[in-house]
Amino acid sequence: MSARGDDGGAGTWVGRPVPRKEDPRLLRGIGTYIDDVPEPRGTLHLAVLRSPYAHARIGAVDASEAEALEGVVAVVTGADIADLIPPFTADYERPGFKVSRRSVLATDKARFVGDGVALILAENAYVAEDALGLVLVDYEQLPAVSDIEDALKPDAPRVHEELADNVLVEGGHGTEGFNEVFEAADHVLRERFRVNRVAGVAMEPRGCLAVYEKSDDAVTLWTGTQVPHMLRVGIARCLGWPESRVRVVAPDVGGGFGPKMYLYPEELLAVAMAREYRCPVKWIEDRLEDFLTTLQARDHVYEVAVAFDGDGVVKAVSVDALVNSGAYSTYPMGVGLEPFQGPLNMPGPYRFRQFAFTCKGIATNTCSTGAYRGVSAPGVAMAMEGMMDRVARRLGLDRVEVRRRNLVGPDEFPYVNVVDQLYVTGSYVECMNRALEMVDYEGYLAARPPERLVDGKYRGIGVAVVTELGGQGAARYKARGLSDLPGFDTARVELGPDGRVLATTSFSSQGQGHETVFAQIVADELGVPVDDVTVRGGDTGASPFGTGTFASRGAVVGGGAVMRASGELREKVRRFAAHLLEASPDDIVLEGGHAHVRGVRQMRIGFRDVARAAHGLTESMQLPEGEEFGLEAAATYDPEASSVSNACHIACVGVDAATGLVEVERYIVVHDCGRVVNPLLVKGQIQGGVAQGLGQVLFEEILYDAEGQMLSGTLMDYMVPTALDVPTLEMEHVESPATDNIGGFKGAGEGGVIGALPAVACAVGDALAPLGANVNRLPLRPDTVLGLIEGVGA
Amino acid sequence: MTARRDVRVTVNGRAYTRNVEPRMLLVDFLRHECGLTGTHVGCAHGVCGACTILLDDVSIRSCLAFAVQAEGKEITTVEGLADGESPNALQRAFHENHALQCGYCTPGFLMSLTEFLRETPDPNEAQIRERLSGNLCRCTGYANIVRAVRAAARRPRDEDCAP
Ligand code: FES
Ligand code: FES
Repeated sequence: MSARGDDGGAGTWVGRPVPRKEDPRLLRGIGTYIDDVPEPRGTLHLAVLRSPYAHARIGAVDASEAEALEGVVAVVTGADIADLIPPFTADYERPGFKVSRRSVLATDKARFVGDGVALILAENAYVAEDALGLVLVDYEQLPAVSDIEDALKPDAPRVHEELADNVLVEGGHGTEGFNEVFEAADHVLRERFRVNRVAGVAMEPRGCLAVYEKSDDAVTLWTGTQVPHMLRVGIARCLGWPESRVRVVAPDVGGGFGPKMYLYPEELLAVAMAREYRCPVKWIEDRLEDFLTTLQARDHVYEVAVAFDGDGVVKAVSVDALVNSGAYSTYPMGVGLEPFQGPLNMPGPYRFRQFAFTCKGIATNTCSTGAYRGVSAPGVAMAMEGMMDRVARRLGLDRVEVRRRNLVGPDEFPYVNVVDQLYVTGSYVECMNRALEMVDYEGYLAARPPERLVDGKYRGIGVAVVTELGGQGAARYKARGLSDLPGFDTARVELGPDGRVLATTSFSSQGQGHETVFAQIVADELGVPVDDVTVRGGDTGASPFGTGTFASRGAVVGGGAVMRASGELREKVRRFAAHLLEASPDDIVLEGGHAHVRGVRQMRIGFRDVARAAHGLTESMQLPEGEEFGLEAAATYDPEASSVSNACHIACVGVDAATGLVEVERYIVVHDCGRVVNPLLVKGQIQGGVAQGLGQVLFEEILYDAEGQMLSGTLMDYMVPTALDVPTLEMEHVESPATDNIGGFKGAGEGGVIGALPAVACAVGDALAPLGANVNRLPLRPDTVLGLIEGVGA
Repeated sequence: MTARRDVRVTVNGRAYTRNVEPRMLLVDFLRHECGLTGTHVGCAHGVCGACTILLDDVSIRSCLAFAVQAEGKEITTVEGLADGESPNALQRAFHENHALQCGYCTPGFLMSLTEFLRETPDPNEAQIRERLSGNLCRCTGYANIVRAVRAAARRPRDEDCAP
C-alpha cells in the first residue's frame, strides 16, 4: 500500500490524495474499537435499568430477585450512589440560563424514557441483561411533555420542578435600527420552518471500559469519545478526584458526528464502580439504548420574516428559534449550543445588514439534545435558502438572480457580516457560478415543461449557497460563555533516535483520517516522507492537553498545532545538522529525510545521524553550543477567528406523483475549504456529509408520542440512507486559503450536511411549486410529500 | 439455565472448540470466545450488516445466529481475507479508493462483497448498489465503496478476491 501521492516525487505532501495510514489495520479487522479492548480478568459487566416512562416519580426499588441471580455482583440504585457521584452539568455563564443538573442515576424522578434508574454489575453481559428484568421499581407516572410548543404552555408538566418553567436558556438580539428598516421595506414574507429531530447513529454504539489500577488507586477509562481531555476534566471534577487518578483513552472510534463529544452518565458510573468494586467495569450499549440515550439534535421551529425591496434585495431578517433541549443540560457544551448557533448561522453568505433574533432552549421529557454534524446550521440554511426562493417567486425573478443580488461578492472580502462574523476570504459567487455551469441550469429550466411533470415525476432543482463555521478557538468559545471548552489544541512532535517522527496530538479520531493528514503536514514541515511519520492521540496519559475534535476544527486547530510544533522542531534539526555539517543553520535545507547545505547537495546528513547525535548515541559528544539533548517540540494553537468554508450545492430531484417518493437524480457540490490537505479525504467528508443531510431531508426522524414514548428505536423505524438513496456527487473544489490562520485551512467536516438540507428541500419546493405546495417541514417522506401534492397540509 | 454445549467450528482455517451457553450469539462467540474482534456489532437486530460473515461460504448476519448453529461448519471472517500482512484485491481497492472512514462498518461490507464478487464477477453499478444496500455505512455516503467494488472487479484473475 503505497503512501506516495500522484507524482511520487519529493516535495509537498499537503494537497495530495494520500491514501490513509489508518486503513490497513481497519481493513484487516485488527483495529481496536471499544468492545475490542482486551477485557482484563475479572471484568464486571454493567447494565443500566432505564425508565420505561417519560416522566415518573421513583418509589421503592426491589432488587432482591436480581441480586439473587447467579452471576450478579451488585444492584445499585440512584439513591445508593447519590453521595458518590454528585449531579453534573456544564457551567454556562450567560444571562437567561438556568441550571438543570443531572444525576447519573435518577433519584427523585425519571425525566425521559431511558433515564437510568439503577445499575447491575454482573459477571457477563448476558446475565447483567437477565437481571434488568428482575428489578422491580415503583414508578408513579406523571404527565409528560415531548413537544416544544406544548412545553411552553403555562400548564405544561414541568421537567424540572425547581425551575419556574421549561425554558432552560433564552436570548436574543437585534441590530440597531432593525424595526425602521424592516417596516420601511417594500415586501415582507413570513414562514415557519419545522426541522426534524434526528440522531447521529454512529455505526459503533457507545461503550466504555473502566480499569482500576490498584497500584495508583487510579482508573483508566477506555471510551469511544471525541474529547478525551474534556472527559478527564469533567470526570475528575464530578467525582472530586485529582486528575492524575483518571486517564481517558479513546481507541478507534466507530463514528462520532457530535454526539460522542459529551460526558455521559455511564462513563461516570463505570469509573466510580471500578474504584468502588476494585475491578474492571465494562458497559456496551445496544442500538435501542443508543436511540434512547445518545444525544439527539435538531428538533427546532424557526419563525422567519424577511423584508426586501422590489429588486429582491433583502433588507432585514428576523428569526425566532425554538429548540427542544430534551430533559437535561449537557457537559461540556451546555444547553445553549443549538439555540444560539441557529440564529448566528442564519445570515450565512448573505449581505443584509439588519437582523433580529430570539431563541429558546426548552426542556421536555425526551433525550437531551446537542451537537450533531453542522449543529443548527443545516436547518437555518434550509430556512434562509427557502426564503430566497420565496422572494424570487413573489417577485417573479429567477432565484439565482435573487441570490446574486444578496451574496457577499468576490471583491467584498474581508467582510464582517451582520452578526459580526468575519469572512476573511471566500468564493460564494464563484462556487455558485461553477455549480450552475456543471448542472447546466439554464438548459435544465428550458428543457422542463411548465407543469414540471416528466414520466410521472415532478422535476425540481434546488440551489443552495452555504457557509460552514469551523476551527473555533478560545476567543469564540469564551464569547459564547462556554466555560468548559478551552478552545486551543496541542501537538508534540519528536524526531526519535532512529530518525523517524512521532507526532502526538490532543485529538482522538473517529474516522477523519488524522493519522494521515497530520502526517502530511509534518512531512512538509520537516522534509521527511509521510511514511516516516506516525501520528498518535486520544490518550490523556500520553497526549498533550487540548480541546478535541468537533465542529470542523481538526485541520484548522489540530493542523495548526502540528504545524507550529513541527516548525519549531525543524529549526532545531537545522541547528543540529548545521553543527554536524559545519555550516550555518540558515544554509541548511531539509528534504526527503536528509539535511543538506543549500546548493551543495553532496554535503548532506541523514535524519537518523542527526537524531543519534541529538540523543547522545554517538562516540563523541556532538551537542552544538547552547543546545539541549533531544529533538522534540510542543506547541499549542488557538486560532483567533473561526474559519469559514463555503459551498454551492445543487440538487435535481424527481418527485413521484403517485407515491410521493423523492429521488435525488443529480447532486453537484462546488466546495471551498481553503487550502486542502488531502483532496481524497475532503471529498470523502463531503460525500458522507451530504449522505447524512439527505437522510435528514428524506427519511430520518426521531419520533416521540405525546406521552414521550419513542417510536423510532430500531434501524427499521429510523431509516438511515442506504447505497440506493445516495447518488455519487459531482464535485469540484475552489481554494480560497484562510489568511488569518497558520495553515490556510478551513473546516470541511460539516459543509456536506449544511448544504444538503436546503438544496434538497428547495428542489422539492421547486418541483411542487406549480401545485402551490409549501415545503417548510422535514422530513420529506412519501406520505408528507403526497400530502403536499394533494394539497393537504400545505 | 440450559446446560452449556461444546461448539466446534473452523474459523479462517483454524479449529476452535469452546464450551458455551446455547443462547450465545454467533457474533459474541467469534468476538469474545475466539478473540476475532474484526466482526462488529452495529445493531444486533439484523439491519446494519456490520456483523456479516461467511458460513460455509454463504454470507449471514452473525448477530442473528446462535453459536450452536455453526457447529461443525466453516466460517470466514474479515481476519481471513488478507494473505498474512498483504491485503487482498478488495481490501486494496477499499484503501486506494478511500472507501472507509471510521471503518466500523467495513468488515461487514468486505464479507458481503466477497460473496457478491464471487457470484457476480463483473457487476454494473445498479447491481453493486443493490448489494450494498444490505449494509449501512454512516460515514462514507457509499460513493467510494461503489468505486472500490468496480476497481476490485477489474483486477486480473490472479488477484481474485475470493478467500
Ligand atoms: S449487528 Fe448484525 S445486522 Fe447489525
Ligand atoms: S466507515 Fe464509518 S460507518 Fe462506514
